[in-house]
Amino acid sequence: MKKALLISMLFLFLMPLGSQAQGRAVTGTVRSAEDGLGLPGVNIRLAGTTSGTVTDMDGNYRIEVPGPDAVLQFSFIGYVDQQVKVGTRTSIDIRLELDIDQLSEVVVVGYGTQLKEDLTGNIARVGGEQLQNVPVPSLEQAIQGRAAGVFVNSLNGKVGQGVTMRIRGSSSLNASNEPLYVVDGVPITSQSQSSSDAPTNPLADINFNDIESVEILKDASAAAIYGSRASNGVVLITTKKGKSGDTRFNLNYQYGYSRPTNNREFLNAQQYIELLSEAAWYRDVASGYFDDVVDPANPSRIPASVENHPDYADSWLEYMHDTFGFLAGHTDWRTNPANTNWEKQAYQDARMQEFNLSATGGGDKTRYYASGSYSDQDGILIGNNFSRISGRLNLDHDLKSNLLFSANVGISRSLNRRVSEDNQFSTPMQLVAQSPLTPLADPEGNLYDDALNPSMFYYPATKELHNSRFLSSVWRNMANTSLTYEPLKGFKIIGEYGFDLLTQNEDRYQNANTQTGRAVGGYGRSRWVRIFNYSTRLLTNYSTTFAEAHNLDLTAGMEYQRSDRDQTFVAGQNFPGTELTRLVSATEIVEANATLTNFSFLSYFTRANYKFRNRYLLGVSARLDGSSRFGVNNRYGLFPAASAGWILSEEGFLQNSRALSFLKIRASYGITGNAEIGNFEHLGLFGGTPYAMNPGLSPNQLANPDLSWETTAQFDVGIDFGLFKDRITGELDFYNKATTDLLFFRPLPATSGYTGITENAGSMLNRGVELVLNSVLINRSGLQLKAGVNMAYNHNEVTGLNEGQTIIDPGSSRWLNAVIVGQPIGVFYGQEYAGVNPNNGDALWFVNNPDIGEESLDGVRYLMHGGRIATSNFNNASKVVLGNPTPNFIYGFNTNLTFGGFDLGLLFQGVEGNKIFNGAGTFMSASGRYEDNQTLDQLARWQKPGDITDVPQARLYRNNGAQASSRFLYDGSYLRLKNLSLGYTLPRNLIESWGFSSFRIYAVGQNLLTFTNYPGWDPEVNTDYRASNINLGNDFYAAPQPRTIVFGARIGF
Amino acid sequence: MKRIYRLTNTALLAGALFLGACSDKLDLVPTDALPADDIYTSGEKIEQALNGAYNSLSFGSMFGGDLQRDGELLGSNGALVFSGTYNDPAEIWRKEITTENVDVTNRWIRSYDIINITNIVLDRLELVNAARRDNVEGQAYFLRGLTYFELARFWGQPYSAGNSTTNLAVPLILDPVYILEDVTYPERASVEAVYQQAIADLKKAESLLDPVNGIYANSVAAAAVLSRIYLQMENWEEARDAANRGLELANGRYSLMGSYGDAFNRTTNSAEDIFSIQVSTQDGTNNMQLYFAATTFGGRGDIEVLAAHLSDYEADDERLELFYVDPAINKLRTGKWENQFANVTVIRLAELYLTRAEANARLGTAIGATPAEDLNRIRSRVGLASIDNPTVGQIVQERFLELALEGQRVHDLKRLKMEIDGFDYNAPELVFPIPQREINTNTNLRQNEGYF
Repeated sequence: MKKALLISMLFLFLMPLGSQAQGRAVTGTVRSAEDGLGLPGVNIRLAGTTSGTVTDMDGNYRIEVPGPDAVLQFSFIGYVDQQVKVGTRTSIDIRLELDIDQLSEVVVVGYGTQLKEDLTGNIARVGGEQLQNVPVPSLEQAIQGRAAGVFVNSLNGKVGQGVTMRIRGSSSLNASNEPLYVVDGVPITSQSQSSSDAPTNPLADINFNDIESVEILKDASAAAIYGSRASNGVVLITTKKGKSGDTRFNLNYQYGYSRPTNNREFLNAQQYIELLSEAAWYRDVASGYFDDVVDPANPSRIPASVENHPDYADSWLEYMHDTFGFLAGHTDWRTNPANTNWEKQAYQDARMQEFNLSATGGGDKTRYYASGSYSDQDGILIGNNFSRISGRLNLDHDLKSNLLFSANVGISRSLNRRVSEDNQFSTPMQLVAQSPLTPLADPEGNLYDDALNPSMFYYPATKELHNSRFLSSVWRNMANTSLTYEPLKGFKIIGEYGFDLLTQNEDRYQNANTQTGRAVGGYGRSRWVRIFNYSTRLLTNYSTTFAEAHNLDLTAGMEYQRSDRDQTFVAGQNFPGTELTRLVSATEIVEANATLTNFSFLSYFTRANYKFRNRYLLGVSARLDGSSRFGVNNRYGLFPAASAGWILSEEGFLQNSRALSFLKIRASYGITGNAEIGNFEHLGLFGGTPYAMNPGLSPNQLANPDLSWETTAQFDVGIDFGLFKDRITGELDFYNKATTDLLFFRPLPATSGYTGITENAGSMLNRGVELVLNSVLINRSGLQLKAGVNMAYNHNEVTGLNEGQTIIDPGSSRWLNAVIVGQPIGVFYGQEYAGVNPNNGDALWFVNNPDIGEESLDGVRYLMHGGRIATSNFNNASKVVLGNPTPNFIYGFNTNLTFGGFDLGLLFQGVEGNKIFNGAGTFMSASGRYEDNQTLDQLARWQKPGDITDVPQARLYRNNGAQASSRFLYDGSYLRLKNLSLGYTLPRNLIESWGFSSFRIYAVGQNLLTFTNYPGWDPEVNTDYRASNINLGNDFYAAPQPRTIVFGARIGF
Repeated sequence: MKRIYRLTNTALLAGALFLGACSDKLDLVPTDALPADDIYTSGEKIEQALNGAYNSLSFGSMFGGDLQRDGELLGSNGALVFSGTYNDPAEIWRKEITTENVDVTNRWIRSYDIINITNIVLDRLELVNAARRDNVEGQAYFLRGLTYFELARFWGQPYSAGNSTTNLAVPLILDPVYILEDVTYPERASVEAVYQQAIADLKKAESLLDPVNGIYANSVAAAAVLSRIYLQMENWEEARDAANRGLELANGRYSLMGSYGDAFNRTTNSAEDIFSIQVSTQDGTNNMQLYFAATTFGGRGDIEVLAAHLSDYEADDERLELFYVDPAINKLRTGKWENQFANVTVIRLAELYLTRAEANARLGTAIGATPAEDLNRIRSRVGLASIDNPTVGQIVQERFLELALEGQRVHDLKRLKMEIDGFDYNAPELVFPIPQREINTNTNLRQNEGYF
């Protein structure tokens, strides 16, 4: 599309030129230095005159020149200009180098395109070439670290599952904080359709090798044309267009493997026995057992031959020893413990491969891009896999010279072999809770578990793996057809119809050997979801230049979107054995339901961009949105934006600057909205609640006919600059995003029968700075070195809730995320851990309560610790703000080196300023609270009076410091070598003899190195079963990211 | 330019026509939920809302099992261990409850959901078919009274601690909430006020209901719950009389099961079940099974019975047969909650005999029957010798064993002012905190002692 557009624009520019040439003719072909293919539409001008021509579809040209001194100027947008003196030649072939200068690139904007240098808004563009070959399943993961102010975070290392994206921070409490995704003009379904608490990722259905570019609309002037859904930014995905000419094929194949980025250490058998025995011994000592043999100087020491002591018979120690015997299965824990490393059992030998074939070509009237792809990627966790097969056909056909028909059709099928949510015993990472005393299986090879071949307290994923199936399959069809009529040069009318059809099945079966299935003879589920999400658009665009100095671009249009979601769920139990696993074989259907829900949007929008003398830029836009999601009193919202820019480098006083090649200042202000809430939250509703096989009805929600848009007013001011002939380009932006009338589930006293009501209340602020720098450090034949940096600082703050409410507590005794006015969203809020009382091994927390002064000190419940008042009673310590779960500084930097046929690319990505709460600390670092295996650091526990440590005394079945507190809160900053690629392009003369036009072999490493102080598996985490707008920065047996290495070849022919 | 205007106008006109056709398409209505006004104006739907209140009562957080479970966990007193990994019940068992305990919060929320539905039903009674109106009204009062009684028991100081007019229980909400403007920010009412409300509601229920009402609340159930309330208040006369009325109404309709074990794990109500939560493979939750049953039976096996509890039984007590050693791990479990699809009993006939026996014994009366007759009905069923002149202590001990692990333990311990796991019967640790979300949302609420 880029080229087609450029051609027409060039024709436009050329119109006034006319031909007045005389003398002899020069002919030749203009090719791209990149792939050696002819470039159509290249502008060729005779220097010093107004005469010129353009190349044809194959890059050929013919021009009349006055004589040998004539100089030809070749220019084409996206390529570096070239000048040649004609001399005596009659034939001149030219190779144009790709322009690395970003400013002249064409950027996709809402309902149109614009030159980057003319932008008055902030749009981050990620070119398709940057996404190619990245060994990850989904687009956002490939973008991570490449765009300023775009924070991408995978919830865990499960393949094909939840990834979150935040553009310039979070702006909503209860509506979505994810951007709007638009593929080739069609708003798509991007919300998780998972039946479990662990989200799936509908963007993983897109083969991102088909993507030409991804544009991320960040500020209001860029995004406001998407009105009510633009507050979180808009991600425009444009797929590749066909290029006319001979058919060109591109084949890519890669193969590789994945390993966890990190391992954590847990106790071995000997250490486990030592710690857990001590925990039981404490209980005995505390209740007066063994009092004649307890060493007062070291009450934790268990004397030798204690088993002969008369108190042993019904002691906790004996109980624990019995437990060890149970855990050890057929082995003898005293003499030859199994010493199983359960963490290793969670991982598999993960492989991946991807095959991608694309073709593009066409004639005068028809151009196409077609592709087919298959990828198959194992997750690092046992039983976890994601595969996708996809195809795409993008077709452009000129029905007439001024009537273009386009159809983009993508289809895909994704299969995700899933594992349970992070909070299930059956998820592989929870294997680390198993005792190192327990062998994997008995001598006959039967796996141990907690019930049928018992040697454990917790059901193990090893058993689930062989006795269950959890398969999500998604069939996806995204299509857009459009008709573009251009009755006058520069005036277009475009009609579009597009849809995104998502059909998903989740097929889960757990046979009678599993935890879920064993009491019911096996349990099976099938859940079908079908979402038909369609939209129609009608828009007009008029672009003109008048009086030579005025450029005007006008767009107006309307859009209607509707999405219907159908769901059918069936569950059954009691299967005849384990072979027949479909519900048809279930003896009893225990649950069956079907639901339907829908929403619609009706929108009108307009935009005007005006440029005066190539230096003064003005843009205004407005959208009027109506949605079924809002109350009758406030169904429509207006979202205007305005922006202005001044290209100073076009002014006389800067035109001759040697260093400064481009300088633009720009500012924008606009209103955007957020409508991503449930579909009928403005209505007062009752839902069906049968009881005792009789129909029942219960209240769901209170009516709010005033419910309306959440609005964000965003101000952005920025400069764009280029130095040294644009060898260095950069952008610096400051923004202020103030969101008001939050779509907020305002808590009500539950005494009303309702826990809340969805209202427009509360406010939130995001304020930040973004910097982008790109440079070509070296650019000479055969050697090019490029480097780029992007960084963003964002301050997020909840500035208000409903009147009278200043805090929403975590709502859980195990987690810390709260909403507090004056603090960032999801801030960690809880008791501040103070360490351990050196006298008795009690865990301590700082009271942080002005009402408890020194008069309360009693040395046991209240005491001085580290100069502050601490308490051993958790409930006597006040909660305080403990840290921010969201990084306030994110950055990425990349370098690309090409030398001869070699290329090397590095992408580093990092976050700063956030904390991570390990919610599993309450089990895995818990002082013998349960029989869970413990992290190695627990060996530093308090044992005797005078011990100075942060790890409390081990006390079996007691809770000594394992409550959710700052004890399990860690610095979450990290820097990661996200992507390293190394390639070699075979010499053209060699491969052309083989019949290829290009041949590159390469290796890519993803997540090769991670630098962090986080002691858990991986600092890129937010445990899947809890993840939400507010529940951020939590770890809970979340699998680490995979470290993936692939080898591949990319062949053009 | 003229041509452009014409084209623009044509385009806009076409667009307007096209979009005019869809403007009403913003009026989407849900297919899976009904506008609340449809319920408030239909007697039939009001009756279905009443069934919705039963559904809420049957939630896991309520009588689906957590409520009974917490009566045992709080009153564990050496009888059981909570060894599971769920933090919220573990906090309750250890008496280290935090103000954000999810199980505590959910019970509060669900209780007031029931109360609001019953308030709606009571407010719209005139819509209900006259032939069924008394029945509907009686059931609504039953559900509300029962719910208030449990709220007072868990969130207020025990009635036996005295000061019932100054000790705080929970807010009394007697008016329905239809729209946002109906929402109030109430203070907590006194223990006395909430008990009196529960009594008033259940008295109305008893008088309005017939003794037969399918699996739904009837007059026997109302009298039975009333006797429980009066017993909790140590009002022996009323407890005795209510139990006696219940037993008289039950006569010919309910009877003790021949064998003790037959009273449990019932997929349909037994002859002994006065009121139970209905559970089937299709519907309902049995959280008592979830926590008490071995993993082999599909439970979590979180609650172990300690050997100390078994030593309270006489050697030939047939009730001992119901205990089993978990086939997976070498730990003791109760067999009362083995079947995950069995009903969850709220109150059964045996309790009425024991209540009447205790009250009669305390008062030196023999209303309905002598204490010995009532007590020995219970004892003889489980193969124990009769006691001719039972003491109150013997009757209470029988009650502990007969109703063991059914959810009444902490409440009995509190009224008997017995020490519980080292805590005084009226220790703040044995009283639930007001959920933090309520404190944050309603500044008129005062937190219980011992919680910040």
